[in-house]
Amino acid sequence: MQFIGQMILNGLMTSSFYALIAVGLSLVFGVMHIVNFAHGEFYMVGAYTVWVLFALLDWPFFVAVGVAILVVGILGLVSEKLIFRRARGNVLNGFIMSVGLVFILQVAVVEIWGVGKMKPVPAAYPQILHFMGATTWQRFILFPATVILLGSLWYFLGNFKIGRALRASAEDPEAASLYGMSPRKSAALAMFLGSAMAGAAGGLMAPIMSVHPYMGHAVIWTAFVVIIVGGAGNIKGTLYASIIFGFLTTIITTFLDSTIANLVNTLVMLVLLAIRPEGLVAHAEK
Amino acid sequence: MTHMAILELIGLGKNFGQNVAVNALDMTIEEGEIRGLIGPNGSGKTTIFNLITGFLKPSKGGIMWRGTDITGSAPHAVTKLGLARTFQLTTLFRDMTVLQNVIMAHHLHLRASLWHQFLKSSESRQEEKEIEDMSLVLLERMGIATRKDEIAGELPHGYQVALGIANALATGPKMILLDEPVGGMNPVETDETMQRIRTVRDQGITVFLVEHDMRAVVSTCDKITCINFGNKIAEGSPQMVCSHPEVIEAYLGEEVSCSL
Amino acid sequence: MTAVMIALPFVVSGYKVDFLTMLMVNVILAVSFRVITTTGGWSLAHVPMMGAGAYATALMSGNLGIPFWFSMPLAGLVAGLIGLGISYPLRRTEGFAFFVASFAAGEALRLCWIRFKIPFGGHQGLVVPPPMLVPGVQWLDFAEAIPYYFLTLVVTVFCLMIMHRLDVCRIGSTFKTIHSEENLAKSMGINTARYKMLALTIGSFFAGIAGVLLAHRLWAIEPDQFGFSTTLYLLVWVVFGGTTTFSGPILGVVVLSIIGELLRPLADWVPMVYGIIIILTLIFLPGGLESLPSRIGIPKGKFWRAQITVEDR
Repeated sequence: MQFIGQMILNGLMTSSFYALIAVGLSLVFGVMHIVNFAHGEFYMVGAYTVWVLFALLDWPFFVAVGVAILVVGILGLVSEKLIFRRARGNVLNGFIMSVGLVFILQVAVVEIWGVGKMKPVPAAYPQILHFMGATTWQRFILFPATVILLGSLWYFLGNFKIGRALRASAEDPEAASLYGMSPRKSAALAMFLGSAMAGAAGGLMAPIMSVHPYMGHAVIWTAFVVIIVGGAGNIKGTLYASIIFGFLTTIITTFLDSTIANLVNTLVMLVLLAIRPEGLVAHAEK
Repeated sequence: MTHMAILELIGLGKNFGQNVAVNALDMTIEEGEIRGLIGPNGSGKTTIFNLITGFLKPSKGGIMWRGTDITGSAPHAVTKLGLARTFQLTTLFRDMTVLQNVIMAHHLHLRASLWHQFLKSSESRQEEKEIEDMSLVLLERMGIATRKDEIAGELPHGYQVALGIANALATGPKMILLDEPVGGMNPVETDETMQRIRTVRDQGITVFLVEHDMRAVVSTCDKITCINFGNKIAEGSPQMVCSHPEVIEAYLGEEVSCSL
Repeated sequence: MTAVMIALPFVVSGYKVDFLTMLMVNVILAVSFRVITTTGGWSLAHVPMMGAGAYATALMSGNLGIPFWFSMPLAGLVAGLIGLGISYPLRRTEGFAFFVASFAAGEALRLCWIRFKIPFGGHQGLVVPPPMLVPGVQWLDFAEAIPYYFLTLVVTVFCLMIMHRLDVCRIGSTFKTIHSEENLAKSMGINTARYKMLALTIGSFFAGIAGVLLAHRLWAIEPDQFGFSTTLYLLVWVVFGGTTTFSGPILGVVVLSIIGELLRPLADWVPMVYGIIIILTLIFLPGGLESLPSRIGIPKGKFWRAQITVEDR
């Protein structure tokens, strides 16, 4: 029983992690039809921000995370204005541009802080928590934090005029103007929110995973798998897929290892794509 | 002229989720006919074309082509069996020339294997020459031979439509489905195109066309089928269909009116 | 051009000869990638296919002692067959789905190399013996840079010739129709699924050949060499050069590699430079370098058009 409890606990945390990252990516794709490959690097910047503020400068942990969210959100905004806007909706071009951004961000970070793993960010809350299983508070925070962040996002999308306009433009770019919001604004907003989520994930994970310039790489692929299966642009679907893959990964990693987990995730996605070859992308190319 | 059924739609239906696009449609087209399919916008006409030519799979019902069941066959297989089509928005190989378009459209005439094509063996080169000659003849028949070296995407609309028809004819079909062949044309171009269509039929190819331009449809088709919301509401001679009360009602409020 | 390519290795310093060798390997990789893009597919499995060729030759020449002249085409065949295997489930996918699915397939292959230490060596990879070509001939040591350069040159020219022929014959034109308007191609009786499979298989074969050349020069291979970073570079090369013409990818590889080489002292910054270049290219010259002549005003002539009519050939 303890064993299952532990797995559920781990599954919750993994799912939260996936959800934070994937939902952001999904939102960006839904509104802008851009696959932002640099999303992983946004996550990395979030982690570095927390590292600098919390580990180096001793700021309180959650303040550091808050700043990380803002910083990465702004980074997203700037990227949209300078770069992605010029892709003019061409998915391939946007993707390649994001690849360029990946290179830029990685080199920038390497030049400033070097290539190696950063000294581990100390856990802010290393106390052990016994709830269904054992973990540190530091790790567990991921779950409620995700619930709060995504819950707020959902509330915003559902209850504020701007939020609703954003959700509408995720369904149909033309619809946004019906709500009085220009496509440009909705792109900027989507990019801000989506990237901010990645920053949050990075910030929260900084004490848990090793912080280094290439940490985004490990994360982006799983994010892709999740949004493909959940339906890029479809927030609810992405959420469900995050949970499914979160638990799937946890279970497999527990019994086998993480490489196989990766492999299985990939194969699951391939199988699903083979069954529905037009892709599970809820957003048909219109 | 024999009146053999060449294409039969039997209880053909298509749903997109809850939306019933085509509802248990029965239709028979005879060899040598020019059949028109009319109906208000969104009534399911292009869906029917897509179902017949294999671009969509039916939700129910079947399609018989010259006695063979082709329900659910892939588009390239359908064309191989002798059914060719054009597309609503002139679909062409935009960056290739007119002649190159038609040469590629002769794909089904190829006998040389891939290997021979790669080697450009004398067999293959001979065949390419034959195909090119056939293409030039076809362009001549469609009246666009003078434009053979122009880029397809840059042609005026009327010529693009003619090229689309030429592409379809190149496959050597027994029947050709034309999706709004005179859409966007002025009366002169329309008459020219409809005349070409009559010539196509006179050469033994059955024609099935979807069109909004009533004058063109009424003056050219032997028989007309009218559908609305995926259901057949009238079928018969142009005069009969046009005076049918349900047809008139379906078109009420539309720009196009069915008047003789 | 030929004279330059032959004279070069004797003129430049030892290290640079290897650079040129690698350049040619990447040219094969990029041009074979284009074979697949002419049908409209951007296969992110392509670099893993190069890996497949590399691993195949490593195992064949290392464990089985098969001489180079056999292991090279066989390894290419292995890569081609894997490509064929991948192309089947992917034959009806398009655009984004194809992109992602091909990545997944390639990544799955890579994960196999990492996970199954026997026989693939896991993270450490495998050692590859230098090519056994002309047994007994002492002075022609292909472990040396210059002989290997010429070996690569011969293989590259051969591969390019084959791929070029493929491009200009009807098969190549058929590929292009699929890219241009797949539905129209289908309605002309073209079995587009089969042709896409053919393109992927052939592209993978040549990627495998590139992998063989890489492996026998580096004498060791590991899974990370065929990972996403390399794929990103491939994408940058071909987008920068353009994929519409046969020479586009070649231009992309050559120009960017030379830039990278010139920036050797600032090696760390090279990826960032590439990133900036590609973003600027997509903003200002989205067709890539190959589209430069038409932008400047040189009219589109036979150079641009698919060579389909009899006179064109």
